[in-house]
Amino acid sequence: MRNALLAGLAAASLVVLPAAAQTPLRASLNSDIRSTQPGGNRDFNTDSVILHVVEGLVALNEHAAPVPMLAEKMELSGDGRTYTFTLRQGVTFHNGAPLTSAEVLWSLRRYMDPATNWRCLPDLNGRSGLAKITEMAAPDARTVTITLEKPAALFLSTIARPDCGSTGVLHPSSVGADGAWVKPVGTGPYSLGEWRRGQYVELERFEGYAALPGERDGFAGGKRALMPRIRFVTIPDSSAAKAALLAGNVDVMTDVPGPELPDLRANRAVQVLAAPSMGVTALLLQTRDPLLKDERIRRAIALALDVPELVTSIVGDDAPENPSPLPSASPFRSEAQTRRPARDLAAAKRLLAEAGYRGQPIRMITNRRYPNVYDASVAAQAMAADAGIKIELEVLDWATELDRYTRGDYQAMAFIYSPRLDPSLSYEMISGPKDTQPRKVWDDPQALELIQRSMTVTDEAERQRIFDRLYGMFMQQVPMVVLYNQPDYIAVRQGVTGVRPWASGQTRLWGVARGG
Amino acid sequence: MRVRLNALIGGALTVLVLGTAVLSAFWTPQNPLRIAMRARLNAPSAAHWLGTDEVGRDVVSRLMAGAGTSCLVAALTVVFAVVVGSLVGLLAGFARGWVDRLLMLVNDALLAFPGILLALGLLAVIGPGPWGIVLALGLAYTPTVARIVRGAVLSIREREFVEASRSIGNSEAYTMMRHVLPGTVSPLIVLATSLFGWAILAESALSFLGLGVPPPAPTWGNMLSAARPYLESASWLGVAPGACIALTLLGVNLLGDALRDRLDPRSQAR
Amino acid sequence: MSATYALKRLAWALPTLLLVAVAVFALLRMVPGDPAQLMLGDAADAVQLDALRETMGLNQSLPVQFARWLQAALRGDLGRSLANDQAVLPLILERFRVTASIVLAAVALAGLIAVPLGTIAAWKQNSALDLAVVGGATLLLSIPSFWLGLLMLLFFGLKLGWVPVVGYVGFGEDPWQALLYVALPIVTLTLIETGVLTRMARSAAIDVLRLEYVAHARSKGLRESTVLRRHVLPNAFAPTLTLLGIVLGNLLGGIAVIETVFTLPGLGRLLVDGITARDYPVVQGCMLFVATIYVLVNLLVDLLYPLFDPRVAAE
Repeated sequence: MRNALLAGLAAASLVVLPAAAQTPLRASLNSDIRSTQPGGNRDFNTDSVILHVVEGLVALNEHAAPVPMLAEKMELSGDGRTYTFTLRQGVTFHNGAPLTSAEVLWSLRRYMDPATNWRCLPDLNGRSGLAKITEMAAPDARTVTITLEKPAALFLSTIARPDCGSTGVLHPSSVGADGAWVKPVGTGPYSLGEWRRGQYVELERFEGYAALPGERDGFAGGKRALMPRIRFVTIPDSSAAKAALLAGNVDVMTDVPGPELPDLRANRAVQVLAAPSMGVTALLLQTRDPLLKDERIRRAIALALDVPELVTSIVGDDAPENPSPLPSASPFRSEAQTRRPARDLAAAKRLLAEAGYRGQPIRMITNRRYPNVYDASVAAQAMAADAGIKIELEVLDWATELDRYTRGDYQAMAFIYSPRLDPSLSYEMISGPKDTQPRKVWDDPQALELIQRSMTVTDEAERQRIFDRLYGMFMQQVPMVVLYNQPDYIAVRQGVTGVRPWASGQTRLWGVARGG
Repeated sequence: MRVRLNALIGGALTVLVLGTAVLSAFWTPQNPLRIAMRARLNAPSAAHWLGTDEVGRDVVSRLMAGAGTSCLVAALTVVFAVVVGSLVGLLAGFARGWVDRLLMLVNDALLAFPGILLALGLLAVIGPGPWGIVLALGLAYTPTVARIVRGAVLSIREREFVEASRSIGNSEAYTMMRHVLPGTVSPLIVLATSLFGWAILAESALSFLGLGVPPPAPTWGNMLSAARPYLESASWLGVAPGACIALTLLGVNLLGDALRDRLDPRSQAR
Repeated sequence: MSATYALKRLAWALPTLLLVAVAVFALLRMVPGDPAQLMLGDAADAVQLDALRETMGLNQSLPVQFARWLQAALRGDLGRSLANDQAVLPLILERFRVTASIVLAAVALAGLIAVPLGTIAAWKQNSALDLAVVGGATLLLSIPSFWLGLLMLLFFGLKLGWVPVVGYVGFGEDPWQALLYVALPIVTLTLIETGVLTRMARSAAIDVLRLEYVAHARSKGLRESTVLRRHVLPNAFAPTLTLLGIVLGNLLGGIAVIETVFTLPGLGRLLVDGITARDYPVVQGCMLFVATIYVLVNLLVDLLYPLFDPRVAAE
């Protein structure tokens, strides 16, 4: 009896010890993931976790441009319609099966099936006007071809998009016999482990991972799973996440909100890392509003703001102010697009007088979900007051603000756009016909035409000219005041190496190790 | 009868808060709305006695300016909840039968409702602002008052002096107002003073969600919730409004106790 | 007598629950924003939104949606979460275990501290001791739970390192670990509830002390401590009990803050997260569940009340 007990204890300690010796690398997430389907029921955090598990034919590099991932090389036919992907050799799925064109084709067909509810289906079946796939084929075990209806400059960057789950290639065993989703069996450096909803999701190192040579490069390049296990811990409250990091209960805190930074920076046990993301923080002005439809008033608002001062006060030196809808990290944001008229209260007052503005209140919607957006609106309110512009803030919960945004139901709104990784999409994000797409802030036929052209033109110099022209028109009409690109902040404990925030904003934990 | 220590302290604190609220309408050391982005999170100094907040506004000035709004919202909320809740509770406790059941049915349904959903819904309809908050919080607290009053009424209405009043031919309504209502005063005052504190704090929680008094107007509640991330690096930001709330509550509670002793008919027995 | 009363009360609970269900449904749909919009974010175009709303079943008329939900609910099926497709009822039960263990422990502790403390303060009314108790209780009342929670976290979790800052383990898995994880939330909640309950108990005890039978007991030559222990303390519990019922009900909504600060997978957080995510089935399910619990708790309080009522005891 006693011996049995002792044996039991010994067995228990055997099970416990290795686990205790190798605590997984723990990173905080501000909300639980929504599902394990790439590009399915997802949000930003879901993408971050899933992209450790699955990979697509192409992936975004550090500068958000699509480069080969599971494809070794790709060729575009002379008519610009057919892409031929040659698969890399030696790649295996988490279940040990080798990667062939059959699984790629199976995955693509599954994504293109409306029943899958893939987020990017409208962008690839022609409905959103981005691209339309007409044929997919696998001529041999290493080759996959995709044919489009007509050339589309954005095809590759679309299938590489993180919110599309990078169009991750899955083994058919990812779904059960009944067609229901089981879990992602992909080719990534980590495989999906235990998911305790509302608490954590754990990833396990895939020992058979075939890494690309070279350094980590965005979602591509050499991915090395240095930690045997990674655990994304859901901690919704940012102050609690901060305390957990300082106490050593997590090793990495992702998506640190601005207000938590002073405490973290004052502490020697942690290090704060920052990089400008491609998300856009801006003040939207409703061009159909009886008051704000007057261009002079919109320009007066822009002139009343001391944007450099505002941006420095909110993010310090972590991100520069940026007047352009193109993110500061975009290669297409030329020198010309960094110029913004300096604050000029006299000119603003003159414009207001011309427009006959007599202190009518302008209601600006803002929220507390994104502290930087809130801070920006509070600062803008105070600065505009100096020019005699009366802004009233209306703080709404995020879902309500999003509803007002989608319906275009606002006078002014402090808003943050999620990252757009292509310059054409940065403009598509803000412009469109308000009659059918009320969420668009800028409705100018000439601009729309230019944007459409930028999506088909492949010559870079030509595209650059288009974007510079668009910028000029944008600054003249002021449908919105772009402030800056919100930096992505990550805080890590001393001893954790290899974490690097980047333009796309998702956390990457491959290439990350914990010393000591 | 000696002047009670509690009443004295309570009165002094309350007068101090009210005085500050009135004074702030005419004078504050600095403009409470003036932001100074270069002077964020400054520690207390001669220029800013309690430092500056996350956008460089003077904390002392904001505390003074916030006194009025905070106390007004809390006071109106309490008045709303106590008036409506007492009426419902009295009616339910006195009428009994199906009226009681029906009132308690609605009451319990409301009581089981999460305040956040109530506030979100009401503010979506009314629009953000102090009135929406008063209504949302008032509605949220009304059922608590109603239940306490009903409980008190049920236990008082069978006592001898109530029976006596009935037996000498006084009407039910008169009996209720003259003899039953005063008996509910004691638990009600304790509850009301607690509600006052809850309301100030609830405004804090609401503004944490962005549903409080709209910015830039300061309230102690929204100052407190905005200060939370700076607990270590700028602790004065949270301590200052917290201390104001605590002192105000202490004053109101002590005063409430004194008031209760004056109003409660049974206290003369002592 | 008491059994039929309880049954009657239970029967009356049904319309209350229906009212809650209707009100929650109506209010939830009145609040702007919907789950489809939240999922698609700033890139939501009309066609995509419509398609997503269709798959979520949001395009049907509101009465149809409500009727379907109610029909399923009556069969014990509360639907599936729109956010992560989990079945709602098991989710609620799982989360409720966490919340219930914390709330029950905290309310019991708070009652044990508050009633004796309030009674003593009442007995020494207007003394320095009384002022200290009232002052302490007021101080507790004036600290928001999210502040107190965070302070506890920083002090015991960070400075002293006694307990882990985040995480949760079920009692079934590892009781000692589980206790470490729930210790701070329980203490925080206890402190907050103690503030209210102490004041309530003190006030109730003052009332009891003024009743004739206390004077009578004193005149019989009983020692003060005996009077307090035998007559005042139990009776001071009665109004406190009513408040306890209310507090228990309110807590389920209010505990969300504490569960968020301490990162506990509880029911309050589920509800609040559900509201911000407009996860209709989760919010409706939670509310129905909370209302049911609430009704049961208050029924229990009402049944217990006569046992403690001072007037009943006096006569």
